[in-house]
Amino acid sequence: MAKITYISRAGEETVLDVANGSTVMRGAVDNAVKGIIGDCGGACSCATCHVYVDPAWLDRVGEVGPIEEILLEEVCDPQDNSRLGCQITITDELDGLVVRLPEKQV
Amino acid sequence: MSTEAQTSGDAVYWDPYRPDLGKDPYPTYKRMRAEAPLYYNPDYDFYAVTRFNDVEACLSDHQNFISGRSDILEFIREDMEVPPGMFIWEDPPLHTAYRTVVMRVFTPKRMNDLEGMIRDYCARCLDAVVGRDKIDFIADLGGQLPGGVIGMLLGIPDEDRDAVRDRVEAALRTEEGKPMEMDQAAIMGENFEAYIDWRMDNPSDDLMTELLNTEFKDPEGVVRKLTKEEVLIFVNLLAGAGNETTSKLIGWMGKLLGEHPDQRRAVAADLSLVNNTIEEILRFEPPGPSVARYVANDVVVQGQTVPAGSVMLNIIAAANRDEGRFVDGERFDIHRQGPPHMTFGRGIHTCLGMALARVEGRVALEEILKRFPDWTVDTDNAQLSSSSSTRGWDTMPVFVG
Repeated sequence: MAKITYISRAGEETVLDVANGSTVMRGAVDNAVKGIIGDCGGACSCATCHVYVDPAWLDRVGEVGPIEEILLEEVCDPQDNSRLGCQITITDELDGLVVRLPEKQV
Repeated sequence: MSTEAQTSGDAVYWDPYRPDLGKDPYPTYKRMRAEAPLYYNPDYDFYAVTRFNDVEACLSDHQNFISGRSDILEFIREDMEVPPGMFIWEDPPLHTAYRTVVMRVFTPKRMNDLEGMIRDYCARCLDAVVGRDKIDFIADLGGQLPGGVIGMLLGIPDEDRDAVRDRVEAALRTEEGKPMEMDQAAIMGENFEAYIDWRMDNPSDDLMTELLNTEFKDPEGVVRKLTKEEVLIFVNLLAGAGNETTSKLIGWMGKLLGEHPDQRRAVAADLSLVNNTIEEILRFEPPGPSVARYVANDVVVQGQTVPAGSVMLNIIAAANRDEGRFVDGERFDIHRQGPPHMTFGRGIHTCLGMALARVEGRVALEEILKRFPDWTVDTDNAQLSSSSSTRGWDTMPVFVG
């Protein structure tokens, strides 16, 4: 279980307890956090769960995968800390993780 | 089986080829969700799931529910041979290799960058019919725009676009009440061959040129470009997928907003509701109402074992109205702030063109509302077509004003 903070473009914060084994995307979609769509359900196929990982957490969220890298090149406003939320699996080590949401997913 | 409307005393029966059921499948879907969440049809020998969670679980499980025998009920049952490159009908690792190539060129950003061109195209189509008292959402826009846009992307010359569309539609159409027959030529994209040869010698900045030049690692681990045969299949697939479904989205737009004038006026008065309206149209009437999978291993669904070798029909149109997921799911409501629908599928075969479909839908609706804020459907002259894979309007004439 980890507490994940999602911060919208407008600065609105949503703090959720997300179970281990779930993902940053799944936590948001299951709790109706606006700004994350997750159309493909977590198959790394749609690029609609783009988040910016707080720089302090970047080295703890794992590596960007090859297909994720392709998709991240093409999301709206990609940054060095861009990730797809479905590719960040929740563990105890991510307790306190902060992600910011992009202006739009599609 | 009865040809009359079903009464509650009968066991629920679903036949995707029966035109009388296809006209309004939703009462049947509702009964299937409630009475037979794992449905079996003995006449055509297929299973079907209709609840949101079951459809989502099935489409997400590409190891047990495979696509390698296609995703169309009758083709799976015929055990047809899928040509290499037809990646929507392949499984990992081949599917992953091909999908990755297409992802590189068919990206959300590239789709969104087309917005200006799409708007111009809509304006041209619609300005031509301003002043008439009757327009047709298909003939005047839905039948033209998607092919035009995919043509812009691929670099297909304007004069060839109608021929491409007609060919694809003919291949997907079924005789009323009958399963589909396969037109191999349409899938192999023979009519693009000369054009691809020409494009190989005349590169441009279009998607076709990128497809010809992009290197990828094939399933054998060899880094190479696509063969001409593979490009042919890709191009035909993209052209077909981009035409048929988006055309049907625009038809449903005319139908649903024509029948809900209060909601049409609300979105016309506040264009910030357009995105939400498109999502609700997609949820309520998905142009691709169901997709099939071949069951590769015994799996348990709704407490019952579905044996390996079966065919599973995932009825997305039923899942999209599941009351367990969508409050008041049978009601069309553009103000809905609910969870996302499943119209673009789930899992590794999720629609690659959804960003494009959304841009086209949004821009089309905005441009329609600017010119035609009010319309009424000419129900007597609207023609529906439905097959096991698509459902929508061939004509959607409306009285404007």
